[in-house]
Amino acid sequence: MIADDATMARLMAMSQAGDRQAYATLLAECQKWLKRFYARRIVPHQIDDLVQDTLLSLHRKIASYDPARPFLPWLAAIARYRWVDHLRKVYKADETGFDDSFAADSSEPAIVARISLERMFSYLPPAQARAIELVKIEGLSIAEASHACGQSESLVKVNIHRGLKRLAAMIEKE
Amino acid sequence: MPTDNQDFIEGLVGDLRPHQPLTLRRGLAIAVGSTALTVGIMALLAGLRSDVMTGHFNPVFLLATGLFLMLGVAATFAVISMSRPQVGNTHGGWMWAAAMAALLPVSAGVLGVADHGSAFFQSQPAQGIGCLVNGSLLGLITGGALTLWLRRGAPTSPQQAGLLTGLAAGSVGIFAYSLHCPYDDLYHIGIWHSLAVAASALAGRIFVPALIRW
Repeated sequence: MIADDATMARLMAMSQAGDRQAYATLLAECQKWLKRFYARRIVPHQIDDLVQDTLLSLHRKIASYDPARPFLPWLAAIARYRWVDHLRKVYKADETGFDDSFAADSSEPAIVARISLERMFSYLPPAQARAIELVKIEGLSIAEASHACGQSESLVKVNIHRGLKRLAAMIEKE
Repeated sequence: MPTDNQDFIEGLVGDLRPHQPLTLRRGLAIAVGSTALTVGIMALLAGLRSDVMTGHFNPVFLLATGLFLMLGVAATFAVISMSRPQVGNTHGGWMWAAAMAALLPVSAGVLGVADHGSAFFQSQPAQGIGCLVNGSLLGLITGGALTLWLRRGAPTSPQQAGLLTGLAAGSVGIFAYSLHCPYDDLYHIGIWHSLAVAASALAGRIFVPALIRW
């Protein structure tokens, strides 16, 4: 059974105040709600990924929820946005297959970028640097990266999120 | 043994920090503050019109300035609303304010046609460019404040949010500069003051979406 709107709104208000226990409960409830929300709207094996992407958006945009308003319409708006974004990405991947292979062949710009990134990477915890390197630079899938570095798939995603956040904050750092 | 999803949720929970929610009241306070700052800076740098100082207003000035202010308020309200998504939200109120403000350039155009195309020359183009530039520059204060607000928010249509941010910025900017501009001519206001709003809206549509991250 999934918690009702009032309960989730209360948990969210507590989460915005920094209550981690409430946040863990809220995310678990949202996860159940989102799985049902996305059921039959995307291919079944992609649901878990989309649910996690949506939870990540919820996490990043947590301030955009106003505790004076109902919770589920806010979550549904975020979920719809992610769903549309997901569909757009799938469409683009199908449509631009040739462009992707071309980009993979033109390796020189990537090498230049890699040199400058190496220095920034030295400031990251090794697990975050490895996850970003495997997925964002070498182009491995989350599953392949998980297999290559021994982190769970979820941990690879969390490490990429945290690592990119850190990298964004130190772009001008020498 | 924890599952993948449990790991994922634990990661997010570990990353949690307290957040001040983007309430309507806070958004409006920021909008009012940035508008007041815009007017203050304009008054300090350029000075206020004499009739604003004495309280003997020109009717065209009052009407036009009021329309731009209302457009700024409506667009700002829409931006604040868009930053806090919710299924069932509507953001169309600004269109009515935009339609009303559009009466200014439309009227200038109609009168210009009746005057056999002399509207542009009667609109004080040399001073008009100053209004266009200064109004747009003053709008950067509101534009910047709203863009920062949007970056924390979750607009489900970044392109429209960018357009409305520019519209709000230009409207507030030209509202403030109207308190200095000495020209009450409908041609001048309809062409140059409206252009400042249009240019800001275009700039917002082009530049702001890239600054909004999900």
